[in-house]
Amino acid sequence: MMNSQSRAAGRILPLKTKTAEMDLPFFVLVMLLVSIGLVMVFSASSANAYYRFGDSYYFIRPQLLWAVVGTVVMLLTARFLTPKLLQMSVLPAFVFSITALVLVLTPLGTVRNGAKRWLFGFQPSEVAKLAIILCMSWLLCRQRKEIHTFKGGLLPCGALLMLFCGLIALEKHISATVLLFAIGAVLMFVGGVDWRWFVGFGAAGVLSALGIIAISDYAMARVRVWLDPFSDPLGDGFQTIQSLYAIGSGGLFGLGIGKSRQKYLYIPEPQNDFIFSIVCEELGFIGACIIILLFILLIWRGFTIAFKAPDRFSALVVTGITAQVAIQTILNIAVVSNLVPNTGISLPFFSAGGTSLIMLMFEMGIVLSVSRRAKL
Amino acid sequence: MEKASLDSATKRRMLFVLFIFLAVCFVALTVRLFYVQIMQHELYQAKAIDQQVRDTTVTPKRGTIYDRNMKTLAVSASAETVYIAPKSIKDDEEAALIARELSRILGVSEESILKKTQADNYYEVIKRQVEKETADQVREFKQEYDLASVALAEDSKRYYPYGAFASHIIGFTNVDGEGIEGLEMYYNDVLVGMPGRIITAKNARGTDMPFRYEQYIDAQNGYNLVLTIDEAVQHFVEKQLENAVVEYNVQNRATAIVMDVNTGAILAMATKPDYDLNNPREITDPELLAELEALEGEEYSTRQMEIWQSMWRNKAIADTYEPGSVFKIITVSMALEKDVVSLHETFNCPGYKVVAGTRISCWKAGGHGTQDVLTGVKNSCNPVFMELGARIGGASFYDYAEAFGLLEPAGIDLYGEAEGIFFDKDTIANGVVETAVAAFGQTFKVTPIQMITAVSACVNGGYLNQPYLVSKIVDDEGNVVQEFDPSVKRQVISEETSKTVASMLEQVVATGTGKNAYIKGYRIGGKTGTSEKIDEKNEEGVADKRVSSFCGIAPADAPQIAILMLMDEPEVDEVTGGLTAAPTVRKMFEDILPYLGIMPQYTEEELASLEKSVPDVTGMAVADAREKLKDAGFTPSVMGDGQEVLEQVPRSGQKLAQGGKVILYTTEQETSTLKEVPSVAGMSFAQASSTLEAAGFNMSSDGKDLTEDEVYATTQSPAAGTLAEAGSVVKVDFVHESESEWVNVEY
Repeated sequence: MMNSQSRAAGRILPLKTKTAEMDLPFFVLVMLLVSIGLVMVFSASSANAYYRFGDSYYFIRPQLLWAVVGTVVMLLTARFLTPKLLQMSVLPAFVFSITALVLVLTPLGTVRNGAKRWLFGFQPSEVAKLAIILCMSWLLCRQRKEIHTFKGGLLPCGALLMLFCGLIALEKHISATVLLFAIGAVLMFVGGVDWRWFVGFGAAGVLSALGIIAISDYAMARVRVWLDPFSDPLGDGFQTIQSLYAIGSGGLFGLGIGKSRQKYLYIPEPQNDFIFSIVCEELGFIGACIIILLFILLIWRGFTIAFKAPDRFSALVVTGITAQVAIQTILNIAVVSNLVPNTGISLPFFSAGGTSLIMLMFEMGIVLSVSRRAKL
Repeated sequence: MEKASLDSATKRRMLFVLFIFLAVCFVALTVRLFYVQIMQHELYQAKAIDQQVRDTTVTPKRGTIYDRNMKTLAVSASAETVYIAPKSIKDDEEAALIARELSRILGVSEESILKKTQADNYYEVIKRQVEKETADQVREFKQEYDLASVALAEDSKRYYPYGAFASHIIGFTNVDGEGIEGLEMYYNDVLVGMPGRIITAKNARGTDMPFRYEQYIDAQNGYNLVLTIDEAVQHFVEKQLENAVVEYNVQNRATAIVMDVNTGAILAMATKPDYDLNNPREITDPELLAELEALEGEEYSTRQMEIWQSMWRNKAIADTYEPGSVFKIITVSMALEKDVVSLHETFNCPGYKVVAGTRISCWKAGGHGTQDVLTGVKNSCNPVFMELGARIGGASFYDYAEAFGLLEPAGIDLYGEAEGIFFDKDTIANGVVETAVAAFGQTFKVTPIQMITAVSACVNGGYLNQPYLVSKIVDDEGNVVQEFDPSVKRQVISEETSKTVASMLEQVVATGTGKNAYIKGYRIGGKTGTSEKIDEKNEEGVADKRVSSFCGIAPADAPQIAILMLMDEPEVDEVTGGLTAAPTVRKMFEDILPYLGIMPQYTEEELASLEKSVPDVTGMAVADAREKLKDAGFTPSVMGDGQEVLEQVPRSGQKLAQGGKVILYTTEQETSTLKEVPSVAGMSFAQASSTLEAAGFNMSSDGKDLTEDEVYATTQSPAAGTLAEAGSVVKVDFVHESESEWVNVEY
């Protein structure tokens, strides 16, 4: 099946060029995750869609379209993107992304679900993830010689990261800020910034976090709800409790695909950030482990491609993209299982949403294009 | 790895990051998932199901109660329960709306509803047994405001199609559908059925899922009861009982039981006044109501409960009385069975008998003179029975009383049966006077049901039956779940003795003190009884309250039916069983026997005295009409000089005695006229007959030996003073004078 799929793809697009073929395992893993993701989006969203819009297909229809468009984008990127082109895109990506992040704060930005995060139908923060990867990778390559110093390493890289994070923080988009910060930090670490800074900043971060919790009632309350969601079952603890009910109900084998009960308005927006709860409920611990395994394999393969990338810039970009997928996945599952406090992070390939899926597939295309030149 | 484009430091760092991701983060996640999904599976699953599922109880349909011909006496119809799901109420505004509107529609206090809206659950009952129309209003309200928090569930309500009918047998249920009186209570477990459950998946809004995710545990409907009661017989009995209560001004209710003597099956059992089963807490007696109105608070509720209790009390089984002379049936049975008396020997009654130095009177001051046992029974002569008692002996008398079931509850399938009050064995075994008095039915008490069961044993061949009201339990498809066969407790006397007793009772009605129970064409047997309530004395220390009773059997040659009727404290001039209870029982028999297919078989004498239907002679030539009426045994009386009969009174089909006058109108000028009916109350047969004749009416009457001296008219129809067509028939009831057989026993 995998072979026929790739052969079919091969017939549509002239993948056989002078360079090697794109990495098949990575491609197959992506397609598997996208397919399973679509099934789960349909299953998770149908009840919500039915109750809210009287149409069970309300969410799956555009998602399917985005998946098809995303796959095309991925394959085109894999086929036509060159290292040179990638290098050249750094500046436009920076300009475009920063502009968008600024514009979204102006009256041009639109409000959806109570948050002002959209600009002309897309989320600048989604674009910013790729932009920071490209810009940071470029900066790390440029500063390679003096990367271990403060002035030549931490300062410029930190400044770039703070610029992006600061703009997103202005959107009051905590989860995206954290995510972007984490991606940047991973790249800076891999890119050679002195590891002691990370230890220092890490320690300082933990201490300041504890300090904030100690003095801020709001933070304190969040932590209390995290530690005991049942202390506020109808308020802040609601989502977490419902998610735990779903995961717990799943047991070893799950209730069966489509048979979730928690998706019936118990879990708010089950097709988005909490889709993994529904996966656990329907597919059980075994199903959840299989999906986690697919993510692990994808991340493993992503790092392998980065490892064997033809140049340092490509390696860093692939590392950044893979790290993004890893961090998002880890944070998402940690949130739904209440391992970390609740924050809105989507699950790659699974959570419904056009911008993020297109951006993700585009990033997968970048990884695949690098894989074609990697010495795998 | 020959031409590595990355330096080893970068690779190490990448491997470190990969290690953190995979070996730390993902492993941690997997462990966490394992903990939540596997270790805490049951905890979370239980909690999830608890919120996802609505568990609704389905009330089973309570069984129907049928009479023996499957006429419905009690039935449950579907009604609805209105409840709210407090947890689905969105805000205080919705709660207030619900409280206000439901209060208006259902008549439940707004405050109490408001309180229920605060509950932390999905099920608070607002009102039960709401009828469909009201429930529809609630539905409309629910739809108008699109309220998920207001809901209706199936419920049922008990209906008694006949209302105040067989009330003390059937009983009623409380609002929860539990029987709390009568058969509804006794057979509650049978009638109630098994409640079912509907387990429905629901979404977070509390509404049902779009697909069917339901589990039904079917409610099992209650079983139905088929009674031994015959609705028609019960109606006949209740009608006569009701009339008797009015006619004889009964102060403390009257009761009657109709029993199949051979099986113990109860065909009818009634107490009057009664209460409406559809509204069992309604007190109708204006005096009691007035009394109650004057009270307040706890006094009010205490008194109200007392009134209810006495209203609901089944007199036929729960009250005891002194059986008086009716008990002589039992005494003579004992004596005959024990063979201590010969039918041919004679006794002398000088009007008293001295027992162990105590002079005990006969009810007849001058005494009955010389008589054999049969005559003694017919005369209800006390000295004869004192002698029988002495011959039976106290110990034996006690044993027989026990054998006749008078010392234990009769065992009918109702709660609340009283036990009666009897001598203990030593007292009566050693007490000659006690035995003498007990022999004519005084100084001890039994329940009516014990009494009729014992009398039945005396005439049915000697078998003491267990009286019962339910013949079978059937399910909704008509399958018999349980059948109650007649149950004989023991044979008390021989078939032969029983036959003798039955024929003696027939003589009591034919020629003795029970003549007022006589019906032409039927062989009725019976015994009258009058007793004083010795334990209820007035201010002067005189027991002035009486119980008059009559126990009849029919047909006396092959007894099928027994009727015991007693009136507690009738207030008329002459309170005797013969005068009050016997005519009432006769009227019951008149209705019941033909209904049961027991047809009259007239003797020649009876046939001759029988009233006949008047033939239709209108339109006939006068001469022909005369001829026809004469042939039929009537006396024609022609008014006017026309050639043709234009009108006749009495009209065709009406019953008229032999020789009765039929007026024929022959001209337009001469038509029927209205005349005032004269009163004949207290008159002898001849006087009444001539009075009515003189006034231009025909008289109709039924009874035995009505031409005898001590017979007098009691009631008449049409009543005196009303207008009736000249020549029409006035029905007059006559009774034989009857004295109370009760004597003042002081020893």
